[in-house]
Amino acid sequence: MAILEMKHISKAFSGVYANEDIDLAVEKGEIHALLGENGAGKTTLMNILFGIYTADTGEIYWKDKKVRFVSPKDAIDQGIGMVHQHFSLVQKMTVLQNIILGLKQDGIFISKMEARARIVELADKYGLKVRPDARIRDLSVGEQQRVEILKALYRDVDLLILDEPTGVLTPKETQDFFGVLRKLKNEGYAIIIITHRMSEIMEISDRVTILRDGKKIKELVTAETNPKELSMYMIGRELKGDFEIKEQPDNGVALELKEICIKKGEKALLDHISLTVKKGEILGIAGVDGNGQTELAEVISGIRKSTSGTIHFLGEDIDRLNVKQRFEKGISYISDDRHADGLVIDMSLKDNMLLKNYDKEPFSKKGVFNKKPIEEQARQAIEKFQIKTTGTTGMESITKLLSGGNQQKIIIAREVNDEAKLVIANQPTRGLDIGATEFVRQTLMDVRNSDRSVLLISADLEEILALSDRIAVMFGGSIAGILERKDANVQKIGLLMGGVTKEDM
Amino acid sequence: MLEQILTISFFTAFFSAMVRMAVPLLYAGLGEVFAEKAGILNIGMEGVMLSGAFFSFVGAMFSGNLWVGLLFGILGGVIVSMIHAFLSIHLAQNQSVIGLAINTFVLGITSFFAKIIKEGQSYQQLKTFSTIKIPVLSDIPLIGNALFNQDIFTYLLYILVILMTVFYAKTALGLSFEAIGEHPRAADAAGIPVHKYQYIAMLVNGILGGIGGAYLVLVQLGVFSENMTSGRGYIALAAVILGRYTPVGTAGAALIFGGANALQIRLQAVGVPLPAQALAMLPYIITLIALLGSIGRSNEPESLSKPYIRGSR
Amino acid sequence: MTDKKEKVIQGLVIALITIAVGTVLIMMSNANPAEAYANFFKGIFGNLNGFCEVFVKATPLIFTGLGCAVAFRTGFFNIGAEGQFYVGALTASMVALNIQGAAGIVLALAAGFLAGGVWALIAAVFKAKLGISEIIVTIMLNYIAINLVGIAVRTFLMDPAGSVPQSAKFDSSVWLPQLLPPTRLHAGFILALVSVAVVWFLLEKTTVGYEIKVVGFNKRAAACNGISVMKNIVISAFLSGGLAGMAGVVEVLAIQKKLLEGISSNCGYTAVLIALMAGNHPVGVIVASVAMAAMQVGANTMQRQLGVPSAIVDILIGLVVLLILAKGLIRRKKVKNA
Repeated sequence: MAILEMKHISKAFSGVYANEDIDLAVEKGEIHALLGENGAGKTTLMNILFGIYTADTGEIYWKDKKVRFVSPKDAIDQGIGMVHQHFSLVQKMTVLQNIILGLKQDGIFISKMEARARIVELADKYGLKVRPDARIRDLSVGEQQRVEILKALYRDVDLLILDEPTGVLTPKETQDFFGVLRKLKNEGYAIIIITHRMSEIMEISDRVTILRDGKKIKELVTAETNPKELSMYMIGRELKGDFEIKEQPDNGVALELKEICIKKGEKALLDHISLTVKKGEILGIAGVDGNGQTELAEVISGIRKSTSGTIHFLGEDIDRLNVKQRFEKGISYISDDRHADGLVIDMSLKDNMLLKNYDKEPFSKKGVFNKKPIEEQARQAIEKFQIKTTGTTGMESITKLLSGGNQQKIIIAREVNDEAKLVIANQPTRGLDIGATEFVRQTLMDVRNSDRSVLLISADLEEILALSDRIAVMFGGSIAGILERKDANVQKIGLLMGGVTKEDM
Repeated sequence: MLEQILTISFFTAFFSAMVRMAVPLLYAGLGEVFAEKAGILNIGMEGVMLSGAFFSFVGAMFSGNLWVGLLFGILGGVIVSMIHAFLSIHLAQNQSVIGLAINTFVLGITSFFAKIIKEGQSYQQLKTFSTIKIPVLSDIPLIGNALFNQDIFTYLLYILVILMTVFYAKTALGLSFEAIGEHPRAADAAGIPVHKYQYIAMLVNGILGGIGGAYLVLVQLGVFSENMTSGRGYIALAAVILGRYTPVGTAGAALIFGGANALQIRLQAVGVPLPAQALAMLPYIITLIALLGSIGRSNEPESLSKPYIRGSR
Repeated sequence: MTDKKEKVIQGLVIALITIAVGTVLIMMSNANPAEAYANFFKGIFGNLNGFCEVFVKATPLIFTGLGCAVAFRTGFFNIGAEGQFYVGALTASMVALNIQGAAGIVLALAAGFLAGGVWALIAAVFKAKLGISEIIVTIMLNYIAINLVGIAVRTFLMDPAGSVPQSAKFDSSVWLPQLLPPTRLHAGFILALVSVAVVWFLLEKTTVGYEIKVVGFNKRAAACNGISVMKNIVISAFLSGGLAGMAGVVEVLAIQKKLLEGISSNCGYTAVLIALMAGNHPVGVIVASVAMAAMQVGANTMQRQLGVPSAIVDILIGLVVLLILAKGLIRRKKVKNA
């Protein structure tokens, strides 16, 4: 008997379907996994259930009654709790205060004794060990997560939604966490867990619903499936590249990382990464977002400092060099977040072209700008990369008024110049139309074919398979495996992305 | 000269002056605590006080009744803080700019109308609120007179400080008001109406700030003069920081600042040749040093002066 | 396109409301609006003296407004121009009382700039190193500076010949020259215009300005492209404080010719509003400052002739800024988090 049924849910954002005719049913005492790639529509679906968005069409039945939530408060009042990836806890307050926050009290005063007793009771029952009077800021991430769960349980929910709950946990904490989930399940709670980790789905869930491109693809009973089947449904088709890849002779190593780590508290964002990028090679980095790819790109480009390990570029130790010095050595970076990292969108195209070389001759001399070469640089970029500017303003066009594809072209024009010997391209085609995508891919290919190197980070497997000479897959801050082009296929990559190591395959 | 200072009567008079100086600061300071804990920095407190002072004078003068004056003073403070609330909460504008604009605006309004109402004549001094001597307690040596031979507003403050302390420490509502200034998104997720509570906090800010301003007129001076708050609103901001955003701490800070002011007056009275400014400067220096000392564990509300817009991160 | 049109409409609405309120205020002070406005403009354009007075009054506003604009460009919310003005005036006076001639002027300007800059730098260091909000720190520093001047004019800088809290009169060799005697227009105004030109050049034509601009628009992008955020906040804070300090220097060397209290006429706070109205653009600062000074001069005449209190200027300035802040209502565009 399903406690929750979502029927024919559709939701479009400015004409594009994020959810299209999705059905989802969850039973009491069930752990139901929601599996899908980035942008498959998992979070949108859960936000609809939790009252953050309202569906365009479709119905939600909760405990056999048709419901419509317009705010998270509605959902909580009806017995649905959600733990987001980013916690909603007040750092300065205690565990107890956070748990009772916003709840109606009998009388004016907080009855701490009562609240504490209930928290301790719940905590004991489900193994959610926390100290009620500890302040949140003094707790580990794992402990904070327990507080979030307690907060939901304290509000008498029957269904708990967990968005990528293990992403922030260490392996040990993950095991404890699963213990809690099993206890909750045995008590009759329904649980929806959003995840991309195959091993976790296999270990903890009873059923899996797989979404792809905003549609429901399949619902499976976990005991009757396997990671291979899951990754096939998640990714869909077998992809093939349409680029002709010329064989390249081995020209030697351009970039070499040895045992690079970035630690944040106890958790390793990058965990002993060692890899090499050869000259004349595109090394693809596959993986679900948030498994350390951006940290890897930033540690190579110099934006982030590593906690330990060494980086050599063209035989030279570059650990100590900053962003600018590395750029001068030939390391370029195309960021995944154009608006935050790569561009100053309130400035003109011309000024954005200057971001890396404004203090170099001939663009400026002794700190004073030289108009001609600056304009020449912008003009050349517009011409060579066919950047479409707004109306008559040309190179003075304010960047935020340009389309995403043209913005990306500005970054590429700036970063992929003749001096670039290694181009780090982080999700370089995300959000671009087909034409712009083709252009970007061809540019990267041209870099490779001129004996220079590309580190291509992409969550888009099609792109990775089409362009890469070798493919490294990142999972949980480390390299899960590196595949040669000829050995790589969607299935293998999909398994590595889900945390199944090469040895297990 | 030292003998003149180290006397019981000097200290008795000093403590009395200290409390008197501290009262308007503390009203404004408590009002500011309320606003800042809910995430709104009201640099326009100076304007709130000045408006309270002006309108209390107008109300009292035309009605001949001090209580009507008080009511007007409160209204005057509330109007100003509501302008701030509308711009900072509803329109999510920069709170510092709002505050400065309000201060200029209110300074203009009060000076302008003070002149017009006056029409060239000089004002009649109002009869001010009288002191209420509490028997026995006021006979305690040194501090009895300072604490228990005061006006009703001072006594009200004692209650207010206690009530506010209890409010934040013990009540669910107080917890909600504090959560808004710390993490409005979490508060929203917990079902707390963030904007509504911020408006309420600003309402309290206006009431208390208005009383603080009215106090200058209705208790201390009996008359309104141009820019008569002369920076007390800013000192109140400092008192809140020094008091680490707690009612009791703010009370302590207000007493220190009031004390600096009182000391300067007392020393002048006995002819100590120390420039008044040296002591007047003290509150600000103390506050800066306190800021230095609070690094890392600042008590400042996490989301102070950041507008909360639902749906944005 | 429509953006521009909307801006024009907003500007017109704000202007209309301001004029309407001004008119009502004039009527409330029992004056005839037509007569009042006639006096207002007569005060400004009626004679050379009044006309020049506009630029005299605009001078400190230009310096401090420019200073605020520079700081706001990197997101450093300097509301300490008032304090920086006073430390500038104080140090300049110390120089001017001891060194005579052109050297005295040059040294006074340099000392005032440096002192104002350092005063702002304190707040910048609090912010950059310790993460403490510059808003509160600059306010505290304002009062410390004001009181420092108060102490100075009662002790070590007090005129030994007098009993009033002020310094002795400076030697006439360190006075800034008057440009059009007998009007009070002085070389400080030229200096202000030069400062605007220099700052404009710095911001628009040099790598320093480019870095400041990038940091102001997008700190993350600055860091990702190797531009130091902290360094640029410190630079803009120093420059900002220095300019405000210059306002103090010019005020004592050209107008007062001695140091005394209360000489800023709140221009340090008005400066914030000027920078806002000018959209942080150097040339806009001149326009806003001159407009504001003209209002003051005109209003003074209204006060003298018709008894309309000159505080009307503060009301209208405050009102304009509040209306600018509320212009979202005229446009009703979705509010964005700054």
